[in-house]
Amino acid sequence: MELEASGVTVRFGGIRAVEDVSLRLAEGEIVGLIGPNGAGKTTLVNVLSGFQRPRTGQIRVGGENARGWSAHAFARRGVVRTFQAVRLFSGLTVAENVETALLSTGVGRAAARTRARDILGYLHLAERADMGASALSYGDERRVGIARALAMEPKFLLLDEPAAGLNIGEAEELGKTIAGIRDDFGCGTLVIEHNMALVTNLCERLHVLATGRTLAEGTPAEVMSNPAFKDAYLGAAA
Amino acid sequence: MIRHEADTSARSDRWLTPDGLARLVPLFILVVVVAAVMLAASQLGIVQQRRVTFGFISLITVVGLYVFMGNSGVLNFSFVGFMAIGAYVSALLTMRPQVKATFLRDLPDWLAAAQFDPVVGALAGGFAAALVALVVGLPIMRLSGIGAGIATLSVLIIFYIVLGNWTGVTGGQRSLMGLPTYVTIWNAGLAAIGAIVLAFVYQESRSCLALRASREDEVAARAAGVRVVRERLTAFVLGAFICGMAGVFYGHFLGTLRVENFYLDPTFLYITMLVVGGMRSLTGAVLGVIVISTLTELLRLLEIGVRLPGIDAALKAPAGLGDVVLAAMMLGIILFRPQGITGGREITLRGLR
Repeated sequence: MELEASGVTVRFGGIRAVEDVSLRLAEGEIVGLIGPNGAGKTTLVNVLSGFQRPRTGQIRVGGENARGWSAHAFARRGVVRTFQAVRLFSGLTVAENVETALLSTGVGRAAARTRARDILGYLHLAERADMGASALSYGDERRVGIARALAMEPKFLLLDEPAAGLNIGEAEELGKTIAGIRDDFGCGTLVIEHNMALVTNLCERLHVLATGRTLAEGTPAEVMSNPAFKDAYLGAAA
Repeated sequence: MIRHEADTSARSDRWLTPDGLARLVPLFILVVVVAAVMLAASQLGIVQQRRVTFGFISLITVVGLYVFMGNSGVLNFSFVGFMAIGAYVSALLTMRPQVKATFLRDLPDWLAAAQFDPVVGALAGGFAAALVALVVGLPIMRLSGIGAGIATLSVLIIFYIVLGNWTGVTGGQRSLMGLPTYVTIWNAGLAAIGAIVLAFVYQESRSCLALRASREDEVAARAAGVRVVRERLTAFVLGAFICGMAGVFYGHFLGTLRVENFYLDPTFLYITMLVVGGMRSLTGAVLGVIVISTLTELLRLLEIGVRLPGIDAALKAPAGLGDVVLAAMMLGIILFRPQGITGGREITLRGLR
């Protein structure tokens, strides 16, 4: 099963945020989406998760055309995203944050309570379950965001800068968690990330955007040796 | 692995676990409080009983308002309009045909001749309000913030204008008199308990958890698969049903209906009650009604004048003090305790949690 964007273009006013981008994500693989600020990475994830309608181009989920699906429809069909700003339900408890997602997959109320604790345990958040989500540390907040996404039983997990604001040690830990999720859940994972060390270690493939266009794609080694990539992304220093 | 485990926990036993029973504590306390007030007031004189009965009717309304506004976080100024629908539908179905012939000469024949049982009239009033809420809510549940405030206020104005000019059916600007006055402290108290139970059961439902998630962050809720419009509409319809029932009790308590009774003044009074108590919890809704009802009653007595014991002097407040104090209280709460007295928490045996 694949999540597939083909020929996607998004414009805001006169600005081309994403221009004719095609991208495929298969179940079980980890793909890095990289590029400088303003390259259109988050806009592409918004399109892939139903939060932004593309002007042209289409999204297919497992071969099915997603035209007209709303964001909750993407989520319910297993295309699940996280946010750069995390966006937890701050007035609810940590467990309720996860339960909300579980309930929309059709799990019963009592079963959701049990399973939320299992998922939180999996992410080493068990003892945080009954805390208010607004009381969490920054790193825990990010992991609860991932727990909430996992509760949706994702086939495709789209992570928008999951390591933003984490220190080197925490970012490495997060990389292991993401790899572990792929192994345990088998979902295809798309990671927007600026931390090149993390991305090259974690991802089988990279997709590079610059000013809304695809600049390069391939294995990390291929991308790193791509002259266009060196020029645009690493700048004159490379 | 956590993905494929079976759904083993049976639904039927979920309240009978220690954890399940602990979740019922707020409901238990609120029901006991209302029942205690009902029993205590039944020992008082008829005037005091009527005051408490009126308080119970306010309680039903504010619980109805809470169900939508508290859980969704979306402004709603239209709820008093649903009270009006409940009140007029029940009135038209239960008034004696002779009385209808006096006040409403232009009713269709079947309605002019009909007189239904009060219970049938009451349920019809509640369901009529819910049905109208379903139709009206469908387009406006997409809105939040100021947009929702303006849209629901427009709905209230439309209800008011229509009821005030549909002279053949509502009596228009004249009062509609002669409703059977069957409301007592007992049935109003039981209805208030019923509204609390209904709101509590709803608030423990999956639909309501999804709605509260959308209140916290609408975008993230959609990413978690929440159908925001649908969950809002569910709460809006349920809230309208409860408000419609409140309107039924209101009409059959006073025996007289005037469209002015379902417009801006009560709208702001009930919103004040909910905001002061704490919009985000059922405890807040109940507490707000108790606090504001008691306060308005005391201020009303003070405006009439209270004779001080011992000395030959009376304490008398200037007219209008009550409204000023209410407005000041609302302002104070919004400035210094925006989540209300309860801070959005439910009451438990250890206090507010």
